[in-house]
Amino acid sequence: MIKQQMYAYKTGIPQIDMATGGFEAGTNLLLLAPALSYAEQFAYALTKPQSGEYAIMLSTNERASEVTDQFKTIGADKHYIGVIDAITKSSTPGVTDTERFMFVTNPTDLTGIGIKFSHMIETIFDGTFSGKESGLFPPPIRFCVNSISTLLMYRKLEVLYQFLHVMTAKLKKVEGFGIYVLNNEAFDERTVSLIKQLMTIVIEIKVERTDTYFRVMGIPGVNADWHKFTINNGQVVLGL
Amino acid sequence: MISTGMYGIDDMLGGGIPDGSRVLYSLDPGVDGQLFMISTLYEALEQKKTCLVIIPHTTVEAFLHEVEHLRGHKIRPEEQGITFLDSSDRERIRRQAGKGGQMVNAWQEQIKKICTEKKIEVLFGYFDVLYEDLGLENGLSLLSSACCTKKSTVIVEHLNLDGDASLDLPEVRRAFDLILAIKASFQPLPHFNYFTILYTSWSTQLRRSVPFQVKSGHIVPYIPKIVVTGPPNSGKSRFVLNATALGVSVDRVGCDGPTVTTAMDFGWLHWQDFDITLYGTPGQPRFDAMLPGVLRNAMGAVLLVDATDREQLPRAKQLFKTIAKLHLPLIVAATKKDIPGVMGEDEIRTGLGIGKDVPVFPISALQKNDVRDVLECLVASITRIIS
Repeated sequence: MIKQQMYAYKTGIPQIDMATGGFEAGTNLLLLAPALSYAEQFAYALTKPQSGEYAIMLSTNERASEVTDQFKTIGADKHYIGVIDAITKSSTPGVTDTERFMFVTNPTDLTGIGIKFSHMIETIFDGTFSGKESGLFPPPIRFCVNSISTLLMYRKLEVLYQFLHVMTAKLKKVEGFGIYVLNNEAFDERTVSLIKQLMTIVIEIKVERTDTYFRVMGIPGVNADWHKFTINNGQVVLGL
Repeated sequence: MISTGMYGIDDMLGGGIPDGSRVLYSLDPGVDGQLFMISTLYEALEQKKTCLVIIPHTTVEAFLHEVEHLRGHKIRPEEQGITFLDSSDRERIRRQAGKGGQMVNAWQEQIKKICTEKKIEVLFGYFDVLYEDLGLENGLSLLSSACCTKKSTVIVEHLNLDGDASLDLPEVRRAFDLILAIKASFQPLPHFNYFTILYTSWSTQLRRSVPFQVKSGHIVPYIPKIVVTGPPNSGKSRFVLNATALGVSVDRVGCDGPTVTTAMDFGWLHWQDFDITLYGTPGQPRFDAMLPGVLRNAMGAVLLVDATDREQLPRAKQLFKTIAKLHLPLIVAATKKDIPGVMGEDEIRTGLGIGKDVPVFPISALQKNDVRDVLECLVASITRIIS
């Protein structure tokens, strides 16, 4: 029997890509990081769609316009980026959904988030999302929740766990790549460990004085050493 | 009786929702099912019912904008007798009452007051945030007669993160007269949405799932496949063409004159608020290998028999056996009823070996009304209520 080759999502971090060949389709990655640690930029670097890919950002702390600006500054093609904005509608109730920008009132509305996510996936699959076909099927989709921490401020851990359980499973089904950012210093160990259970891979970030480090856990054959890094033009650059 | 606002579903419920009923629309995460609740809300407003809408997850402005965007029509709360409790009320109650029992009491008092003062006839509640704040039993108590009168109809939407088992819980069954589960699947197609009427207190409902699409702000149930089969020259192509607004047949003119279908017949129609696709199979035995494949995922079948040709009966019986194995709703249509010397119903039943549970319709496939009668009966079998 011929085994179908799964799509591999490159991270843009040579050390990881060389060791893994890219993350396997269906991977869900937790980015654990304290505040002011470049976690947001790190998440953008991982979410930036490569050629032929799409990206969806569930934004709980930035407006859709800010998210697209961020992607633009790191050189991403906006036609392949969708944003589910859980911020803008609370102050501008009249804001209207488009194919690439969808709005829910606030992060409480998990029903709305789930529906908008499904809508975007559906339009990506049927080719109406960007008007440009990626040519790959299933279309490779990177999905980022730019703060689980914010979602946890609005909904109980147990509810959010169930919701993320569904989302991570869906992402596996569509052979996407999920990136979820969580501030590990703002929540207790139980919360972090429960969210970890849903993930395939964990990248942890720490700050020591002025330097930032990351380590990768959950990839067989890749050690969990700390690597010093900076972010340059949306690229994760390893330092010495 | 209140209409659900989705007429195909009203038929399945025996006309709609009886006054004073408790209804649960249970949404799986991600399924495009918000329009179930919204359609019922619009219908209640259309019937000039006084409504209370509890939206603890959002603001009134954002909700009104969202429903207008989904449905294409504005709601005018002042003119239409609609009152809201929204996220700001939730915040106020949380702030003032704190947690636990006091919060339940505060919600109950608030709802009771509005229901009494405004003589609320229909209460719409988005439940998942209340469930999270108050727990299952306390949350359900807000929607019971403790808060609103027995005459009030209560419609609840809930994001079901707990799975199907939660809908079988005794307290959930006790709390509702109708439970309609709205789900999505990747099988047989990606983004395949369907609903299942799990339970009604006013009838015995066959638990059957019906797919739906969202079209121009409305829920449109559809029957993705009805298979029309039968021996050669029993009138299948004519049946499909006369049943549908748009149909095609792939025919070849035989050496001896008559046309023979050599591939599938296809037809599409909108009937009784359902979008229906018909698949007609070629009748020759050499095509039998494809029949199980064509019948896969079908929701019903029509077996045509030429009522003037007794020699067809063994072949028709063979086809009947193939369909019967799948336990599909099935109608037998005995064609050419307008030609003298046709077999009677009993002779056809005996020849096919079928009992009274399978309807037999004498028809002429040339008569559109006859063809529609068969479809009407089949759609009723697919979606029927045993009352």
